Order: sequence, then C-alpha cells, then structure tokens
Amino acid sequence: MAGLDYAYRAAAIVRDAGGYIVGRTKLQKIAYFLEVAGIGSGFHFRYKHYGPYSEQLASAAQHASALKLITEHESVANWGGLYSTFHSCIPADPAPNPARIRMANEMVNADAVELELAATALFLAKEGFTDPWTETARRKPDKADAGRLDNAKELYQRLRAVPTPHLLPAL
Amino acid sequence: MPKQQRIRDPLHDLIEFNVDRVHLEAVLWRVVQTRPFQRLRRIKQLGFSDVVYPGATHSRLLHSVGVFHTAKRLLRVIDKYVSAKNPRADQALAAALLHDLGHGPFSHAFEDVGERFGLTMADHEKVSELLIRDSEIADELRTVGSGFANDVADIVAGNGPKTIYSAVVSSQFDADRLDYVRRDRLMTGIKHAAIDFEWLMENLEIGSVPYGVDETSIGSVETFVLGSKAIYAAEAYVLGLFQLYPTVCFHKATRGAEKIYAELLARAITLIQNGSAKNTGLPRSHPLVKFAQKPDKIEAVLALDDTVIWGALALMADSKDGCISKLAQRLRDRQLYKCIDLRTKIARDKTDADATCPAADTVCAGIRDELTKWHEEWSGKNPDAPPRILIDEVERSPYNLTNKETGGPLNQINIRTAGNHLEDVAKRSNVVAELKTYKAFRVYHAEGDNEAKDKITQIMDAGIRQWPA
Repeated sequence: MAGLDYAYRAAAIVRDAGGYIVGRTKLQKIAYFLEVAGIGSGFHFRYKHYGPYSEQLASAAQHASALKLITEHESVANWGGLYSTFHSCIPADPAPNPARIRMANEMVNADAVELELAATALFLAKEGFTDPWTETARRKPDKADAGRLDNAKELYQRLRAVPTPHLLPAL
Repeated sequence: MPKQQRIRDPLHDLIEFNVDRVHLEAVLWRVVQTRPFQRLRRIKQLGFSDVVYPGATHSRLLHSVGVFHTAKRLLRVIDKYVSAKNPRADQALAAALLHDLGHGPFSHAFEDVGERFGLTMADHEKVSELLIRDSEIADELRTVGSGFANDVADIVAGNGPKTIYSAVVSSQFDADRLDYVRRDRLMTGIKHAAIDFEWLMENLEIGSVPYGVDETSIGSVETFVLGSKAIYAAEAYVLGLFQLYPTVCFHKATRGAEKIYAELLARAITLIQNGSAKNTGLPRSHPLVKFAQKPDKIEAVLALDDTVIWGALALMADSKDGCISKLAQRLRDRQLYKCIDLRTKIARDKTDADATCPAADTVCAGIRDELTKWHEEWSGKNPDAPPRILIDEVERSPYNLTNKETGGPLNQINIRTAGNHLEDVAKRSNVVAELKTYKAFRVYHAEGDNEAKDKITQIMDAGIRQWPA
C-alpha cells in the first residue's frame, strides 16, 4: 500500500504525460520507463505476466482519484473489455523536467500492447536476459504477433533517444 | 490388474495415479516422492489459520495432489470438445501438481518479509519456476520429453500463449481455486462458502472470448465458460470465494499471528545479516541462519518449512534479544496482539457504505502515514524493543468485471445465454454485480498497552475527521 504522498506522484505522471493517460496498463508502463530512466517517482515494480507492475502505483492512483488529484473514467473498449482514462487535476509543474515530459509524451500516444512489450523487454534485460526481445516474444506470443514486436522495438529506440539521467540500455 | 497408486483424501476420497498405464502419471508419482515436493508436506496450506480453526492444518502437499485430481476432471471437459490429443494437456496436468512448489514457510507472510529485504528466493513463483526447470523434479519431467520441464515451468509462470490448457492452471475455473475453495471450507469446519462443484463441472464448456489490453484488441482466447443452467452455481462459486476472505484468509487473529511472525523473521534476518546470529538464540547451522546468510541459494530456501520455524520458536524464546524472545513466545503461546479495526470504526462513526468507499481508502492511507510516523519515532528511541503496533491492510476483489489490469478474459466467468452469446456473470447476476471489494485496515497493539491503544484511537479519530469533501 502506498503512502498518501505517492498519490501526488501518481497524479504528476498523468500531468507530465500531457494531462491524460488512456489505460491502466499504459499508466503502469509509463511509470516504469520513467523509473528506469532515472526520472521516475519512486515506485517499486515487480514482474507479473502482464509485464512490470507496481502495486504501489495502482493503490496511489486510487488515492489520487479519491483526493481528486486525478479523475478516472471507465469506458467499454470495442473488444468488450473495460478500460480507464485518467485526467490530471493538479496544476502545471512550475519547474518541469523536459526529459520526463518528452519521454512520457512519446509513450502516451503509443499502442498499449507495444508499450507493454517494450517495458517487458526492458525488465527482462535488467533481469539478465541476453536476448530480451526473443524472451518477450516467447512469453507473450499472442501480443508479439502481427508486427507488434517490431513496432515495440521501434518505440523502444525512440524512448532510448531521449536524453535521460540513466540512459536506457541497448536491447 | 494394472497398478494404481492411490492417496486417500478427505475432500476427493481416492486420488489415483495410474502408474502402469499412463507414463505421465508414473512420472508425476515419482515427482511426488522427490524432496522438494515432500517439503510441501511440512507447509500448511492456510499458514496460521489454525490459530482460529484448529482443524485447518492441511498441507500444501495434499492441496497440490487435489489440484492434480481436479485438473484431470477439467481435462476431461476439454476432451469432450477437442478430439485430438494435445501435448499441452500433459503440461497442464504437471503444472497443476507443481504450481505451489516454491512456497516458503507460512507462504505469503514469508514473501512479505522477502520483499522487505529484497530476497528473491522468498518469491514462491520464482522458486517454483527454478525447481521445475532445474532440480531432481526437472530430471523426472525430462523423461517425458527434453523440453517438457521448461514447458511446465512456463505454464506455472503464466508465459506462452493463453490456451484452454493454461486455463486449467490459471483462470476463474482453474483447478487450484476449485480445490481450495472446497478444501479450506472442509478443513476449517466453516459451513458457509459452499459451492455446487459437480453441477459446475457438468456445465463447464469451452468458449472463445475477446481479449485486449486497455482499449487495444488482441484477438480472442479459449477458456472455460458455463452453460445457462449453471447461473446460480456460478453465483454461489463467486460468493464462496468472497466469503472465504473475511472468515478464513484474512481473519483478524490469523493476520495478527502472521504479522508477529513477519516481525520475528525480519528481526532475526537483520541480526543474522549484521553478524549477530548468536543473539537470535539459533545455532549457526540452523536453516534460518543459513538462509539469511545465503538468501540467493535455492538449497537454503528448500531447507525451510513451517516445522523448522515452529521448532525454532523454543530456541528463539530463550534468545538474548528482547524483541526476538518476546515475539517468539507470543507466537508459540498464541499470545496475539489486540486488534482495532479502522474500517469497522468508520462504519460505526459514519455509515457501513462509507467504510469501503474510495474516500475511506484515502483516510486509511493518511492514518497509516500518521501511525507509521509515530511508531518510527518511538522505534528510533527503542530500537531493540518488539514493535508497539502492527498494521494490517488487505484488499481483495471477489470478482472483477473485465480487464482491470490484473484481469482479462481468463479472470471472467462467462455464462452462455439462451441466444448462444457469452455474457459476464456480473451482468447476469445482481448478487455478483453488487459485491464490493473486501477491505480491511487493522492496527494491533499489545494487550495492556493502553498508551498505544489511546494513541491509535486518537490518530484514527483525527484522520476520520479529515474526511475528503
């Protein structure tokens, strides 16, 4: 469970991603990339079968919603499932971090599945897998299909090109 | 007459391994005899639940064998729909038997401590995977095929394509859940949480359901669905799981014992890692000392089980360290801390509905922050004393309608309608639709420590007064 200060950190991620994020998966993966790049909010991530995931962030987002730092709207996707859209309600950062904003904006417009694949490959690389893309495809064959793995690799390269305190590793 | 190996089980009666006729079952019978699997005999399925339900002493070994038995039933359901033999069926059966292999002593409480100290071998999923891929169990599994052990490990880890066979191991109708919801009820002696198992099995079908991530569609996946006549059985199944949380899994006394155990373990690991192992009261050769010194070694975690911890309590109760000795005595003698339930207090001070609403979550988080601050200050002045308060926060949803991040189609219960469509049970059952997430927030203190009790109450009252507008 996250402390209340983490609610502000969760809201700040939404704010820095341009004011809104579509989907819990996307919120999680954006936060993960920011963390690895050294411009994160201090959330701790573990590997789940849907990729890097932070219980702390999930609970912080709930608190942020209750404190009206963000709003969360649930919608029905065209495939029948529910997904959430988060909107930031906190004021603009008086001293924004350009690298964080650039990176978050790159991800907020990405495809959720491709972002999950890229985050998974990065997590596996940090776990010591020498070929994390192959391992990602092996673990998530359904998601890696239909050219999404290649798109995830391109997305990763774009994220890696953002100058951040900790450069993302070459995968 | 072909030879059978049989286990007598209080839930399923006879569980059979057809060792003469079915090569896989002969292999799995040998797997049952291995040291890592036999270790599960000494790990209780419900951890400390026997402080509340003395009958709930059943082991993870018996549960695992029960899951194997239930998985065979589920595979027979699949056989009705799929004529050709699929190798994934064997993988799923082995995975069902081995899904709990990596649990440490008192399972989830041990994992919580592991997370606090960054001990990777306290993560049961990781340990299960390692043991299936590379141990004497892996050697047995490879007699089925060279890649069989890895395929089984992947199913247990949730890797690979989502198929009807992976649904046997992980889905709303997986063999694990279908076993423990009944077994835990039977062994605790509770009379609620009953499910209509045979009717559920009789009405299980295979259906194809859409699958996606957030707003993006991926395709469809095959999973278990229920025929229309099983709507009430489905409802009772969800209710059964829901009722187990407050009365068994998250009972306040069980959780109180877990919290004491976690603090005892954390203190022991800290002392051992600081070179003060002798202050724990344990000999240098004790498995817990070895684990704390070499937590990355799988051998170290394999030497741990519930009985090792129970045995250690007598030694730790005589420890020179006041914290260790007091906590060990408490656990040994069931002298648990007293509990103040914040959400119950909110229900009393405001309304029942308020107790679990999002605003209450925020109030609880603020109160937790205040309690933690107060306790850290106190601990700073009394570094060698046992904790003055213990905080327990739990949240469990009985049933999530489609695709919260941790959900997805395998976590749905779909009912076939009269018009041959699949519809989520939450849309067909008003009872399921109205179920709220179970949430508890408790603060424990030592009996007689009225100062702590007053401080907890004062912080709680102040927090509730700051209810979000």
